[in-house]
Amino acid sequence: MSMIKFIIRRLLSLLPVLFGVITLTFILSRLMPGDPIIAHLPKNFTEEMYLEMLAQLGLDRPILEQYVIYLGDLFTGNWGVSVTLAPGTPVWDLVLERFFRTFDIAIASIFIATFLGLKTGVISATHRNKPKDTILRGFALVGVAIPVFWMGMVLQYLFAFQLDLFPGIGYKTAGIGDPPVVTHLRVIDCILSLDMVILVDYIEHLILPVLCLSFITLASITRQTRSSMLEVLGQDYVRTARAKGCKEKDVIKTHARKNALIPTITIIGLNFGGLLSGAVLTETTFNLHGLGELLIVSIQNTDYWVLNGIVFLTTITFIVINLGIDLIYGFIDPRIRY
Amino acid sequence: MEEPYEQELKFEEVKEEKNIVKNTIFWIFKNIKFLLIPGSRLEDLSRREFEYEKTISKRKFIRRLKSVLTILGMIIIFIIITFAIHGAWIAPYTREVANGVLTGSWDPPTPSNLLGQTKFGRDVLSRAIYGAYSSLTIALPAITFSVIVGVIVGMISGYYGGWVDSVIMRITDVFLAFPGLILALVFIAIWGQHMEYIMLAFGILGVPYYARLIRGSVLQARELPYVEAARVSGSGNWRLMFRHVLPNCIQPIIISFTFDIGGIILSLAGLSFLGYSDMTLIEWGNDISVARLHLTDAPWSMFWPGIMILVTVMGFMLVGDGLRDALDPRMKNL
Repeated sequence: MSMIKFIIRRLLSLLPVLFGVITLTFILSRLMPGDPIIAHLPKNFTEEMYLEMLAQLGLDRPILEQYVIYLGDLFTGNWGVSVTLAPGTPVWDLVLERFFRTFDIAIASIFIATFLGLKTGVISATHRNKPKDTILRGFALVGVAIPVFWMGMVLQYLFAFQLDLFPGIGYKTAGIGDPPVVTHLRVIDCILSLDMVILVDYIEHLILPVLCLSFITLASITRQTRSSMLEVLGQDYVRTARAKGCKEKDVIKTHARKNALIPTITIIGLNFGGLLSGAVLTETTFNLHGLGELLIVSIQNTDYWVLNGIVFLTTITFIVINLGIDLIYGFIDPRIRY
Repeated sequence: MEEPYEQELKFEEVKEEKNIVKNTIFWIFKNIKFLLIPGSRLEDLSRREFEYEKTISKRKFIRRLKSVLTILGMIIIFIIITFAIHGAWIAPYTREVANGVLTGSWDPPTPSNLLGQTKFGRDVLSRAIYGAYSSLTIALPAITFSVIVGVIVGMISGYYGGWVDSVIMRITDVFLAFPGLILALVFIAIWGQHMEYIMLAFGILGVPYYARLIRGSVLQARELPYVEAARVSGSGNWRLMFRHVLPNCIQPIIISFTFDIGGIILSLAGLSFLGYSDMTLIEWGNDISVARLHLTDAPWSMFWPGIMILVTVMGFMLVGDGLRDALDPRMKNL
């Protein structure tokens, strides 16, 4: 019961943030240079056509009224229609398709990175200043310092163009269709329709981007795990555990690692949120048609409606992930009460 | 020739004599209170003790900083700064030639272009060296701006607390919830692709982060007894904030500063990769984005700017790591 209360209280406290982000997006989108109507209309448009379009989109009203309408539309799920990007397509459909593609990549990368990162971080901390630690630290440092897009291009060059192992660009080979849409998650859709060709093709396309993103996430998780493990290993209770004769394995696993997990979980959550909203560079490098790429294109084409929809969706995912992390804290550390 | 020399010598002797007299008078003045007031020497002793402790801790700090990796990072930073300042002496071609339109294009490495050529036959090696200038000139002012503004905002927020704190923190929440790269991109789209605006965009982006960082430590530091003592002895709010509380909270800022120079260079490269850069500058990210379309036939033009970014950012991160190990009190026992 207290947990439900906690969730509600937490969501309420995050409402101002959501509201602020939406307002900020509105202000920024109206400040952006460029006119979506001119971009939408044919080149030899008349003033009548322009005014008609203006009225149709509601851009001729006072700015405050536009703002109120915009707020209402966002919360009732009426996100409007794309104007310049894909004229006539509802924003919801456009955004949802892209969102789930980004979601596939993000979830695969975060799983790989978490699974390996916790191990490498613990190894690095327990072998402090030994060769193993130096090597792992070096890799983690490279992962934090490497420009994602450059790494993507190097991988593309090596594995796609030179060795011809994986396809380097796009999310499907030309000529391969889409499975019938059931859940929007392409992998599950493929399994449901028993279409192994599409599934294998899709996974082959995702290998390089996931490798790229998981390496970077892995690096930051390793660094965080290492430093929090080092901090915990210096605590009194670890010494007590060793003194009372626990095996070193048990000391690390049950006494130290569990306590070192809290800051690591925070970093994992931040990374996951970042991957869902900000994998722009990787998506552009691999031409994946994900959410981040759509965001860039919508800014370049001053498509307010698509931009607003994406920002709303990413903020909501950000909030949900934060909430999830807070709940996970409680499972890891029972001392934390809601 | 010898005469003026002798004169000089004499002059110095006289000066020294004068100094001796002066010094003795000075010493008497300085120590008169020791002679007159019993026990006042203790104050001096405790001051000396404090200074001794200070040098000891300084030595410890330097000893901890002297790890191989930190020195490596410092060397990298030194080299990159040299590239930025004296690029014209090191690079084989001048800035104008490296940014001009030449006859060749996308040619592989030759003795005259050691690392090959990129678009318009520009020399990759020269551009890789000149790129240091734009990265550092954008990153350093941006980060300085965010540190100064962030420290002031976070200090006010943490020190006063109450509704001021909650308003400021809600605003920082909004900025932190917004994906950072996108915000920078929108700012630059609004203001235009000039170097100053790119700096300002990154500067503004860093403010909420630093405000958050310093607020946390201010909340801890303002409850400490010495702050209370300073308040009792009549310090005003501003004096308390910036003379007493701030020095106690500056460590995480210093560590984060070094890390963030690297971070900004990285995001700057990402932004130019997406096409939002000052096109008049020679910039690593921009070079990579130009070379992207010729990945198969001219991989060298993409490879070297990326290596430069990687090495530069690594240099700053190494120094940041070293500083954190040396400064962080929690790590002292390890």
